[in-house]
Amino acid sequence: MGNEEDRELTLEELRARIRVAGVTIAENRLAMVRKLLSDALAPVRALASRPRTTVEPAVTFSPRREARDE
Amino acid sequence: MSDEIAYATIRELGTRYRRRELSPVEVTRALLARIEKVDTALRAFVTLTTDRALAEARAAEEALRRGDTRPLLGIPVAHKDIYLTRGVRTTAGSALLADFIPDEDATCVRRWQEAGTVFLGKLMTHEFAFGIQRPGHRFPPARNPWNLDHIPGGSSSGSGAALAAGLVVGATGSDTGGSIRGPAAFCGIVGLKPTYGRVSRAGVLTLSWTLDHTGPMARTVEDCAYLLQAMAGHDPADPASSRAPVDDYLAPLGHDVRGLRIGVPRAYFFEGIDPEVERAFEEALETLRGLGAQVRDVEVPSFGATPSFLLIMMAEAFAYHERDIRQHPELYGDVLRERILTGALVTAAEYVQAQRLRAEICRETAEVLRQVDILATPTTTKPATPFTLAQDPEFGFPRSNMPPFNVTGLPTLALPCGFTASGLPLSLQLSGRPFEEGTVLRVGHAFERATTWHTRRPPV
Repeated sequence: MGNEEDRELTLEELRARIRVAGVTIAENRLAMVRKLLSDALAPVRALASRPRTTVEPAVTFSPRREARDE
Repeated sequence: MSDEIAYATIRELGTRYRRRELSPVEVTRALLARIEKVDTALRAFVTLTTDRALAEARAAEEALRRGDTRPLLGIPVAHKDIYLTRGVRTTAGSALLADFIPDEDATCVRRWQEAGTVFLGKLMTHEFAFGIQRPGHRFPPARNPWNLDHIPGGSSSGSGAALAAGLVVGATGSDTGGSIRGPAAFCGIVGLKPTYGRVSRAGVLTLSWTLDHTGPMARTVEDCAYLLQAMAGHDPADPASSRAPVDDYLAPLGHDVRGLRIGVPRAYFFEGIDPEVERAFEEALETLRGLGAQVRDVEVPSFGATPSFLLIMMAEAFAYHERDIRQHPELYGDVLRERILTGALVTAAEYVQAQRLRAEICRETAEVLRQVDILATPTTTKPATPFTLAQDPEFGFPRSNMPPFNVTGLPTLALPCGFTASGLPLSLQLSGRPFEEGTVLRVGHAFERATTWHTRRPPV
């Protein structure tokens, strides 16, 4: 993963994402959106993905199954 | 109208109804009059259903005469305005749905109706349960009865404000990242986010499918238990609804907490904490120790990854709103529009990674909940935010102590545990194992009986 977790979302990267998504966000709001997305992305970027191959996404979420050995 | 009636509990009202000391019609009329008097300033209600409420109160009175013993019979309640109500406008606090009149009831609305409650009206919510309304919005936000210059929390803002002001006895809330517990904390009331799947979300407007919870809000733990009892249980109309048997939530109340193991995961939950919040929380732990609970620190390192829940929430919110927000962006408030559009910027890989982190948080939390019975944390790290800050365009999405329990789906109760020197409420958060709402309520009830915070009234 290298220093991926240290890499901040740049304004250029944010603008590219906005273009790809086809949405409009005012220029004077980009700093706030960048902060919001960067904070949420930080733990994901810190995730060492390959060594944790047994951790699968909780896309079908059940607290009982997750929390209990059944 | 006396505070005695405005702040009566479900048990007190039921007892007085059955002794013929008070009638549902009297109580309903009194609350409607109180709403008329104080809600111009509070704005807790979006829609009042006066005629229907009085008709239901009369029907309840008839049923009481026939000896009907349902505990919620004649109890005045109101619903957060994202719960669909047949024939009654459901706005989601949004211009988009300003005139939307559903032709069906949410399952929870129907279940409380069948339990004999009296429906007073619809309560303000942050827009689509995600964005506080800024000045100029079609639906102005509700205000905090303890101090009108502060927010009542969100998104179940009207529910929190109405309960604290003595306008309703019970209310529905929904909680995707803390929207039941935040208003409970800021308004000095009690809110329960049940286990994911315990209470149906059918007929409640979606914010995020895998994080949304529905649940009761009230002024006491016992009232929450009564209200949960009437709304819990399998619902085939909600794909996430659990078939786990429904417990008796009143039965554990009154049992002591001696020997119960309470874990305090300090890392994450104390970052940036206000000294008054911290002091109230430590005093709450002392109270629990005094009641015989074994309190000790525990570690759940993966809670630190909780902020990634926003990727899930925003991506799912965008998926839900995509068509409307692309076609009618002008019908979305500034705060909500920006948050939903940020969801469009989350890549598929990032969404999956956030769900993997979620699985890790669930696994670690489950490990800790084999060693302790309850996790105790401050519900919020700060008291209610002033409007001047919350409505500032530069005010970002605040870091919060509540999303860890949306991510894990654990049953979590917020209840009063103190006040700041300036008179704003503070709150204790108690979480338990999946489907062990009874244990959470039992601890909350024991704490409530040992303290008087829940008996304080705001200056309305």
